[in-house]
Amino acid sequence: MNEQISRLMDGEVDASEMDQLFSLLKGEPAMATWSCYHTIGDALRGETAVTRSVGPAVARQLASEPTVLAPRLHVPSRPQVSRMATWAWAAAASIAAVSVVGWTAYSLLDAPQELAQAGTPGTARSAQIRPLTVPPDYLLAHQEYAPANALQGVGPYMRDVAATSPLRPAIAE
Amino acid sequence: MMAGRVAPAVFVLALVASSASASDALAWLTRASQAARQLNYVGTIIYQIGPRVESSRITHMNDDGREFAKVVNLDGPAREVVRTQGEVRCYYPDAKLVRVEPGTFRNVFPSLSAEQQQSLARYYDFRVVGDDRVGGRPVQVVVFEPKDGLRYGHRFWSDGATGLLLKARVLNERGEAVEQFAFSDLTMNARLDHAMVEPSWPVVPRDWQVLENVSGDVVPEDTGWIVARVPPGFEKIMEGWRKLRGRRERVAHIVFSDGLVSVSVFVEPLVAASAPAGFLQKGGLNVYSVKQDDHLITVMGETPGATVRQIAHSITHR
Repeated sequence: MNEQISRLMDGEVDASEMDQLFSLLKGEPAMATWSCYHTIGDALRGETAVTRSVGPAVARQLASEPTVLAPRLHVPSRPQVSRMATWAWAAAASIAAVSVVGWTAYSLLDAPQELAQAGTPGTARSAQIRPLTVPPDYLLAHQEYAPANALQGVGPYMRDVAATSPLRPAIAE
Repeated sequence: MMAGRVAPAVFVLALVASSASASDALAWLTRASQAARQLNYVGTIIYQIGPRVESSRITHMNDDGREFAKVVNLDGPAREVVRTQGEVRCYYPDAKLVRVEPGTFRNVFPSLSAEQQQSLARYYDFRVVGDDRVGGRPVQVVVFEPKDGLRYGHRFWSDGATGLLLKARVLNERGEAVEQFAFSDLTMNARLDHAMVEPSWPVVPRDWQVLENVSGDVVPEDTGWIVARVPPGFEKIMEGWRKLRGRRERVAHIVFSDGLVSVSVFVEPLVAASAPAGFLQKGGLNVYSVKQDDHLITVMGETPGATVRQIAHSITHR
């Protein structure tokens, strides 16, 4: 099951398997695994949600989870000293060594300035990498001309309001 | 375990699949996009982008030709999008922020150019796959299967009675779903009143920030930027300058479309050497940024990554 969920997250599940997996995900154990993996993934990408509570089931799983994760970051550029709090970990870092506290820290990357000010930036940064982010203005400008969006009415805006939206309501620098 | 019951049905549907013409594809697209605008409906949408799954509540109202809609995110912070005449407002309670966008929805399908209609038929295999059920309703399943590796595949499930899209899936080069949405419940022709499409914050709280966006303003003109390697079937549908929030310099914006999806090219002067560059994939959207001399080129579109990359590396200034 864990392997299936992992593949789902990596976009390696084919369409026919998807429906089966979704019904599986309605169950408690699968959901715990799912949210655990996402908490990890979000933290690795520096996209941790503002007030993600890490449930006891997830915490337990974290403690027992032996998976070694490599950060899925994009093109590394020179180190930045601005408001980026992207987490960069050595590929060998075991997640068990990572403090849960870190995951509740705000992602300052792309987040609104108010959040940036109120938030506690992560402290476990061994290096700072600036991945590619999409300026929201670009996305909106593009969406205007995306024909398939007309099929879905407000659909395209779901990308914007999704709780884990990578396209946060950023204020342009 | 459950897949066993589903698979034979899919197989049978595949056998009865029939080829259809460009005009069929256009008629289907037009019907679906008009249904999305004209009907009154309330439902829950399950939305999957990349590895994430989220749900939203959507309410859509057409009051004598005037459209209103509200989408409330059901997971995490209760963000919402409210669309009224000429305006889209995104509420982010977690950030104490309201973003106001011009309500730019273009119902492009009835007005696709002859070239775009031909592209649809030449570069996609449009087929009515058969019948299925979504959210308990009978649907017609259609596919747009790309004939080359430069486009994604699209599978749509549309309500048999009204044409409204009940489920949609974007498939990558390997036939895997990269983005999809589906209604898990839906009430159509619902009796709605305006209170149901009002924002939860009719008056913006005093400590919230309101961001007005001007991204709708575009001046169509020749920007001097030339895109050499546009995939076949993509036509230039817009070129002009945009003034984007927070940027002193205007940004060149060129849009290409193959009738089903579009690719945007943005070129802006490089202000800092630290500008982000590289690849980004968000569900069915791929973005590629590259620095070129003293400019930053960003290409984004609902196409495979290779397509946006190819385009980005073929841009020169006249």
